[in-house]
Amino acid sequence: MIKDITIGQYFNGNSLLHRLDARMKIILTVIFIVSIFLCQNFWSLGLMLLFTLVTVTISRVPLKMVFKSIKPIAIIVVFTSLLNIFYIKGGTPVVDWKFIHITSNGLFTALFMALRIICLVVVSSMLTYTTTPTMLTDAIEKLLSPLKVFKVPVSTLAMMMTLALRFIPTLVDEIDRITNAQKARGANLDDGNFMQRIKALVPIIVPLFVSSIRRAIELADAMDCRCYTGGPGRTRMKQMKFCLRDFATLFVMVLFVAGIVVLNMYFGAVLVK
Amino acid sequence: MPILSANGVTHLYNKGTPSQSKAIYDINVDIEEGELVGIIGHTGSGKSTLVQHFNGLLKPENGQIIVDGKDIWKDKKSTREARFKVGLCFQYPEYQLFEETVYKDISFGPKNMGLKEEEIHKRVLLAAEYVGLKKELLEKSPFDLSGGEKRRAAIAGVIAMQPKVLILDEPTAGLDPKGRDRILEMIKSYRERTGSTVLLVSHSMEDVAKIATKVLVMNKGQVEMYGTVDEVYSHSVELRNIGLNVPQVSKVFEILKSNGMNLGSAYTVEKAAEIILSKGGASV
Repeated sequence: MIKDITIGQYFNGNSLLHRLDARMKIILTVIFIVSIFLCQNFWSLGLMLLFTLVTVTISRVPLKMVFKSIKPIAIIVVFTSLLNIFYIKGGTPVVDWKFIHITSNGLFTALFMALRIICLVVVSSMLTYTTTPTMLTDAIEKLLSPLKVFKVPVSTLAMMMTLALRFIPTLVDEIDRITNAQKARGANLDDGNFMQRIKALVPIIVPLFVSSIRRAIELADAMDCRCYTGGPGRTRMKQMKFCLRDFATLFVMVLFVAGIVVLNMYFGAVLVK
Repeated sequence: MPILSANGVTHLYNKGTPSQSKAIYDINVDIEEGELVGIIGHTGSGKSTLVQHFNGLLKPENGQIIVDGKDIWKDKKSTREARFKVGLCFQYPEYQLFEETVYKDISFGPKNMGLKEEEIHKRVLLAAEYVGLKKELLEKSPFDLSGGEKRRAAIAGVIAMQPKVLILDEPTAGLDPKGRDRILEMIKSYRERTGSTVLLVSHSMEDVAKIATKVLVMNKGQVEMYGTVDEVYSHSVELRNIGLNVPQVSKVFEILKSNGMNLGSAYTVEKAAEIILSKGGASV
């Protein structure tokens, strides 16, 4: 269960997406997410799907891993689709039987929402699959740096994020180890009712907290020893630089958004008011 | 009849993914009752994976684990029984302590066995005595103990289940020489007093030579050698080939031998001193 977490999972590679500047990737992802909700008819929806497929192909991330990122949201997709199908009114009636009223608007909204959510998750998982957590936090720090004017401790926040991401796999290992140690002493984690199961977690959570605090203290000491002071004026070993391919992909993205807008205007909305 | 045996045990890591690999492969070992077996091998040789099969924490892909004449994967009950018959104490066991007092922590295992309060009390006191924990420490919080005391408290937590086979994974890792000797001494006397079987996973050839009766050498997920300390340690060339070093005194004795001074063989400093003292007068 715990091994299914895909956040911060990086897939090593050297595709165009991997080489793009992380800041640009974040900007592009945000633009894409906004444009997802601009789609109003099947033509623009098709363009969005095509764009998602192309992104996945370029990234060279195995399809298996892409599906893994969709799996956790499958329930949400099904649930919202069902709600939309049964509750949205308007358009031509499709089914009209006793208390069940399904309209064309309901069906279309359900389809649109489902595809939008899936594309949103797939494209944003492309961001984390092709960008190392360190690059990601560096980029977020750079993008948020204007907030420094308002005394927001941007670099400290970014460091906290980097550390948090860095320690996810360490903690997963630690949980595994402690669980095994307690199982070896006969801890029963799989049986019993809800309360018993919660209680059975105490022997795992207490040592986990203790060792996390110990780790945090050791890490802070190690950072002190290397004269880390944080704050402004810190330079980076790897400087981020925008180059031609970043602007080229931005240009493609602008074309894509323009395409969606044009298709929307030309073919009109599919939902009937 | 051996107390513990592995028949053709194979275990795969990352099964079903591209990185699938054999952690251990076709292991056949019989461990006789009352032995103290040292399991040595290089990092990643599969020692820890193997011992986690012995108490049913890992399920083998192929093969059987027989504890006390019973296949531990026959049904759910047998697996749970194996947890208590084979006590496994992990590396750095002090990180598993969680209760408010040392006493409560040691009693965690016996409690899970469903024993009566009096029996638990008896076992906790006995286990604490085996590992040399003073009685007044039992009411303290485990987090207030020193490093060495914490480790002994954690080992007591496994001993208190009174397993037929006690497995200790690197019990001396990260301890100073004094703490290390103390743990080794404790293991030796525990075995002598209870007559139970002990498996000691280690990569220190010195530690194993000091207390073990038999040695199991693992290499690349397979059993490389299995025999008495003398049998195994005399193959110093083969041991070196798989990245294991014989104890330093043995090396000194080998060099002396190649220079024409044959003193026989010794694997511990104490034994070496004994040999040299007995020959000292004659050869000088």
